[in-house]
Amino acid sequence: MPMRILRAVLRTIRNSRRLAMGLVILGVLVLVALFSPLIAKAIGGGQDPIELAAYDKWQVPGPSHLLGTDQFGRDVFAMVVKALAVSLQIGAIAGVISTVVGVIVAFVAGYKGGWIDNVLSTFTGILLVIPTFPLLIALSAYAKNVSLFQVGVMISIFAWPFAAKTIRSQVLSLRTRPYVDLARVSKARDLEIITTELLPNLLPFIGVGFASSALGAIFGLVGLEIIGLGPGGVIDLGQIIYSAISTGALTLGAWPMFVVPVGLLTLLFAALNMVNIGLEEVYNPRLRGVAGE
Amino acid sequence: MKSELELRGVQQRFHARGVADGYITAVDDVSFKLLASPPQIVSLVGQSGSGKSTIARNVLGLQKPTAGSVLYGGKDIFKLNRAEYDAYRRDVQPVFQDPYAIFNPFYRVDRVLWKAVKKFKLASTRAAGLQLIEESLKAVRLEPENVLGRYPHQLSGGQRQRIMLARVHMLRPSFIIADEPVSMLDAQVRKHFLDILLDFQREHGMTTLFITHDLSTVYYLGGEVMVITKGEIVERGSVATVMHEPSHPYTKLLLDSIPQPDPDKRWTTRIQVDELEHLDDNTLGDATKPEAPII
Repeated sequence: MPMRILRAVLRTIRNSRRLAMGLVILGVLVLVALFSPLIAKAIGGGQDPIELAAYDKWQVPGPSHLLGTDQFGRDVFAMVVKALAVSLQIGAIAGVISTVVGVIVAFVAGYKGGWIDNVLSTFTGILLVIPTFPLLIALSAYAKNVSLFQVGVMISIFAWPFAAKTIRSQVLSLRTRPYVDLARVSKARDLEIITTELLPNLLPFIGVGFASSALGAIFGLVGLEIIGLGPGGVIDLGQIIYSAISTGALTLGAWPMFVVPVGLLTLLFAALNMVNIGLEEVYNPRLRGVAGE
Repeated sequence: MKSELELRGVQQRFHARGVADGYITAVDDVSFKLLASPPQIVSLVGQSGSGKSTIARNVLGLQKPTAGSVLYGGKDIFKLNRAEYDAYRRDVQPVFQDPYAIFNPFYRVDRVLWKAVKKFKLASTRAAGLQLIEESLKAVRLEPENVLGRYPHQLSGGQRQRIMLARVHMLRPSFIIADEPVSMLDAQVRKHFLDILLDFQREHGMTTLFITHDLSTVYYLGGEVMVITKGEIVERGSVATVMHEPSHPYTKLLLDSIPQPDPDKRWTTRIQVDELEHLDDNTLGDATKPEAPII
């Protein structure tokens, strides 16, 4: 089963250049994030390059500090790499939580139908129309010193309904397929039908749900931080942009503090969207070539 | 396994909007009995929307009837205990209409057969299971090496439908519920498929409920026939009797709708679908008159 899913994923990737591109960019960003402790060590040469007053402040980009230093004398390159890792982690946490919740809600509602579907769909709909951003602003007032995980949870509360909505509609169409009936007359139970007959066919939709929730979470947080309402204690890309704006870094020649995080976020946005579009585009087994394999 | 399958006053209603009382009646007070021995072929004929497929879903336990009951061995199929349910599932198996949608596109076609082996404990080892699968594929005139390991979209409709028959062959149920199994197959493959059904009846003693809108296939299969219209069974009897001396006007209309492979017997008037809707004895006087051949 896991092998089969892997093979299906590989086949999907081979069929779309856009999907492959998105995944490559995403992969590079994740690799950089994974190696951020090593990169920090290499830059610091033994000491921590993002400690307060590790170096002189406001150094312009040069050979010793590729992207210069900030108002506290921290190495911007090391900071950006670390912040990228934090942003990706928040995206991953919020993405996983909202996808799992969304998938469970979608399958229960779509497969069971009836009043269960009515209740869940109404609830999902209510959450969908609540304006998220003002609510997050209000929430952040109560969350001054929160951990990375808590931030992820906070944001995913509003991210799952989207995934639930799209997947539910797919479940509704899939559950009336004859192969579901065939599974039922072969004595398959509901849970078995959901996991082995329906779920594999919905992998691309789940992938899309994950990518968009992760994207939503990262950018939601950046949006909060840029207007200075980010939760304290978490330094991600948005936080660096905020400090670049609030200290006037651009006028001091420290342009990388602003440009590099923005560039990385753009790249991330482009990559995740390419994955999204690629998945939607490529995944239609009926269109696969007859001689395929 | 001596058993019988009986429908007693089955009624199925569905909620529908825009209808006078808020629901439509798909099946109305249908009762009939299928016997496992002697094995028989019973055809259920009717136009689309007449409730044929709903009856199939009721019999297969996929849809609980609004009223009435489906009895297997004298017991309501929705009230069976575990052992009885297992026996019922094993004993009543379907062949569905659409050979394309019946396979999950995610898996190879083998899975359908292996599922049957595992779920119904047909074989204890992998080798024995494979042997069984290959035997059954050969019984429906498929070469195992041509179909095993393939994805559904790589096979033709006829091949897929015969894999379903191979599955039935492996399970050896007493009852096959075949819901329009040949409507999506071409003429040659259709005959092939019907021959296999007849083989199953003769060699393995399987009783088939053959649901169709196509009287020529009913004629070919022989046995008993029931004619259903608007959810009600209006005529039943042996194929020979019903075909030659139809008593219900709807049956007459159906018989007239069989295209003849003879250029001298073209239809000269059009049968309007509307006529089927407002069917009564008065209008049928004209509609069922044998057409004068064009010379």
